[in-house]
Amino acid sequence: MKKLSQEKDDQLLHYLDGELNAKEVEAFEKELLLSPDLNLRMEELRSVRALLIKKAQLEIPSKNFTQKVMSGLDAKPARSVFSYRQGLLLLIGSVIASGIALALLSAGVFDAPTTPLIVDSPLKNDWLNVPSISIPFNGKILVNGIIFFNLGLAFILLDRTILRPLFQRRNSMGY
Amino acid sequence: MITTEDEYALIDRILAGEKQLYATLVDKYKSYAYTIAMKILENRSDAEEAAQDGFIKAFHYLKNFNRQAKFSTWLYRIVFNTAISYKRKVKPAFQSIETSIIEYSERADHQTEQDDKQVYLVKAMNSLNEADRLAIQLFYIKEFNMEEVAEMMGQNLNTIKVRIHRARQRLADELTKILKQEALTL
Repeated sequence: MKKLSQEKDDQLLHYLDGELNAKEVEAFEKELLLSPDLNLRMEELRSVRALLIKKAQLEIPSKNFTQKVMSGLDAKPARSVFSYRQGLLLLIGSVIASGIALALLSAGVFDAPTTPLIVDSPLKNDWLNVPSISIPFNGKILVNGIIFFNLGLAFILLDRTILRPLFQRRNSMGY
Repeated sequence: MITTEDEYALIDRILAGEKQLYATLVDKYKSYAYTIAMKILENRSDAEEAAQDGFIKAFHYLKNFNRQAKFSTWLYRIVFNTAISYKRKVKPAFQSIETSIIEYSERADHQTEQDDKQVYLVKAMNSLNEADRLAIQLFYIKEFNMEEVAEMMGQNLNTIKVRIHRARQRLADELTKILKQEALTL
C-alpha cells in the first residue's frame, strides 16, 4: 500500500467523524471509489476506532469507595510548604533585596575598611574599670554574604516553584 | 437523574453544612473518576487511592467551584491532576515473570480474534507519548467530548484535537505494522 499524504489521512478522519459538508462528502466518496489505497487506510482507521470504543469501558471502583471518601472528608488535604504564588512572591522579594544590597554596595555605602563594634561591659562602673570590647567588623563582607545567601535562596525558589514543576509536568505529559 | 440545577442546589446544601450529601455526588461520579485515574496510573489500588483523594480535595475546595464549567469537568480536572502527581511519586509496579506466564496461558486457551486485536491495540498504544495516549483514551470514554478532555488535561482545544487526530493515525500505522509482523511469524 502506498503511503498516503498527511492531508489525505486528515481528510479520511474528518470523513469518518462526519466533519465534511455534503459537497465534500460527495467528492471524497468519488475519490474513495477510485483509490484502493484510500479504502484500505479507511478500513485501518475504522478498525482503530472500533477497538478504541470497545476498550473504553468504565472501570468499577471498590464497593466501599464512597464510604472511604466520606470518612476522609474531615482530614485536611496535604499542602506543600508554599504554593506557586507564594514561592513566586518570595523569589521576587529575594531578587529585589539582592538588587538593593548590590546598589548600595556599588554606591560605596559599605566602603569603610573597618567599623569597630563596641560592646560596653555590663560590669563597668565607677570602681571597676573594664575596657570596652572592640570587635573589628567589615560591613562589605557582611553585605556580600547576605547577597550571596539571597541569591542562593532565589535559585532554590526558582528551582522549586518554577523550573522543577515545569519540567516534571513536561516529562509526565511527554511534550 | 440529577440535573445541573439539582447539582448546584446540592452543592449549596453541602456548603451550608450538610456534608453527608456529598455521598450523592461521589456515587454519581466515582466510576468516571476512577476510570480517569486508572488510565493514568494503570494500577487498581493506586487509582482508587488517587480518585478518593481527588474527591476529598474537591470537597475541601468546593467553595471555589465557580459554576462556569460543569461540576463533573471541574471534579475530573482535580482527579486528573491528583493522579498525575501520584504517578510522579509512585514507582512502576514490578510484574513477576510467573504472573505474565499464567496470564498468557490463560489467555491462549480462550482467545478470540477480537481479544487478540485488543492486545495488539495495547501494544500499539505503547508507541504513543503519554499525553497523546491519555487524550485518546479519555476521548473514547463515553460522555467525554473534546472540550471536556481539553479542560481536564488543562490544554488548548486545538492541541487536544491534534493529539487525538495524530494518535489515531499513529495507532493505525502501528497496528498495521504489528499485524504484518504477526503474519510473518506464523
